[in-house]
Amino acid sequence: MPDLPAPDLFTIDLLRNYLLVGAALFALGMLGFLSRRNLIVMFLSAEMMLQGTALSLVGFGRYHGNWTGQVFTIVILTVAACEASIAMALVVVLYNRRSSLDVTLWQDIREATVGVATIDEAAEAEPIEVVPGIESYPQLTPAGVEPAHPVQSWTERRR
Amino acid sequence: MFTGSMLFTTFVILLGAGGVYLLLPHRHGQAKTQTVYIAGAVLAGLGLVGFLSFLSAPADLDLSQLDKLLSAVFFYSFSASALGCGVMTVTSRNPIYSALWFAGVVLSTAGLFLLAGAQFLAAGTVIVYAGAIIVTFLFVIMLAQMEGKAVYDRSARTPGAAVLTCFLLLGALVVCLVDTRFAPVGANTPGQPRNPQTFLPRGRELAEVHQLHPTNLQRIALAHALRSTSSIYTESKQEKPDVAGLGESLYADHLLTVELAGSLLFAALIAAVAITNPKRPVRPGDPEPIGTSV
Repeated sequence: MPDLPAPDLFTIDLLRNYLLVGAALFALGMLGFLSRRNLIVMFLSAEMMLQGTALSLVGFGRYHGNWTGQVFTIVILTVAACEASIAMALVVVLYNRRSSLDVTLWQDIREATVGVATIDEAAEAEPIEVVPGIESYPQLTPAGVEPAHPVQSWTERRR
Repeated sequence: MFTGSMLFTTFVILLGAGGVYLLLPHRHGQAKTQTVYIAGAVLAGLGLVGFLSFLSAPADLDLSQLDKLLSAVFFYSFSASALGCGVMTVTSRNPIYSALWFAGVVLSTAGLFLLAGAQFLAAGTVIVYAGAIIVTFLFVIMLAQMEGKAVYDRSARTPGAAVLTCFLLLGALVVCLVDTRFAPVGANTPGQPRNPQTFLPRGRELAEVHQLHPTNLQRIALAHALRSTSSIYTESKQEKPDVAGLGESLYADHLLTVELAGSLLFAALIAAVAITNPKRPVRPGDPEPIGTSV
């Protein structure tokens, strides 16, 4: 048995710290991906899951004393950049179709064999009534009669 | 077996789950009062503090060793800011604020990378994520959602089930990680080979052992699996400089990976250009184009 190298400063307790923080970031990202309806926030949450994974990989690589974790994190960075570019392209295209970033409006992007969802989530999840509170939008008192102005379809901003 | 530490873990996870559930938007988009937000923030903060108590400080922590104290302090602050910014990313109503909080997550993670001795990755993460991806996200948000808050940002999709699922996963992972006790690394009796069940053998230790494997075949296989270019340490057991060692490993052991990453970026560029095919502009007098009306 040869004498093993001197004890590394990066002990298994430090590795466990990194794994715990990575696991928490992963779970938070999964929560955002499952529960938010804005497509951009969903992609941000997916990036957060990737960050948690990268943290675990770097901790493992440092513990084992090799570069493999960091190399794989670089691969993750590359894939995240590709994913972001394609996702943003998809967001722009889908926004042009539906004028909204709501993912529940895009239930028809599915295989023909998968049945339509039994609950119309897009209709169900609309606000029931505007409750006065910190989230309600400010309202101005209507001032007089709205002047008649010609509305041209191409000058309207999509919303 | 339900030990005390498991009970504490469950309590902390439940605190965090309750706080995050209160902070998430309502299922039907109803407004929540400020009291609910304050209660959610308090619960989530308590859960965060409890989660930080799972992290083990360096064992021989005394004030005389300033470097260890500093690294512990920085580790705790980076972890806390990463998790806090993560919660704010998930629960923010305004997607612009979500993107900015995510930049906070990225910066904190870069700090953690620095503490783990990955300087190149820390710089690369900040440059790629905070410098490029966040800006792209913000650009698309400004392009597609100029008025800020939208109706669908004020309502979450099955928040209860999502919180249950994700915090169940987190609780299982935390219980696995916290309740696993490894023997201290230096605690073996000299002359005796250590039991692999009681510790997690390091790759560098395997690399030391491979030279005295009995058969030639095993030695060659292990020497191929654990090459000297892939080790953080040089032959004289000194740490290699970060960027030099990473570059050496990247272009010696993982050359095919680099080529694949480049090809992937190129394919993604072409795909993004192909997907965002510009539409023909709508002129006055044209019929309504198909697909614009919901």
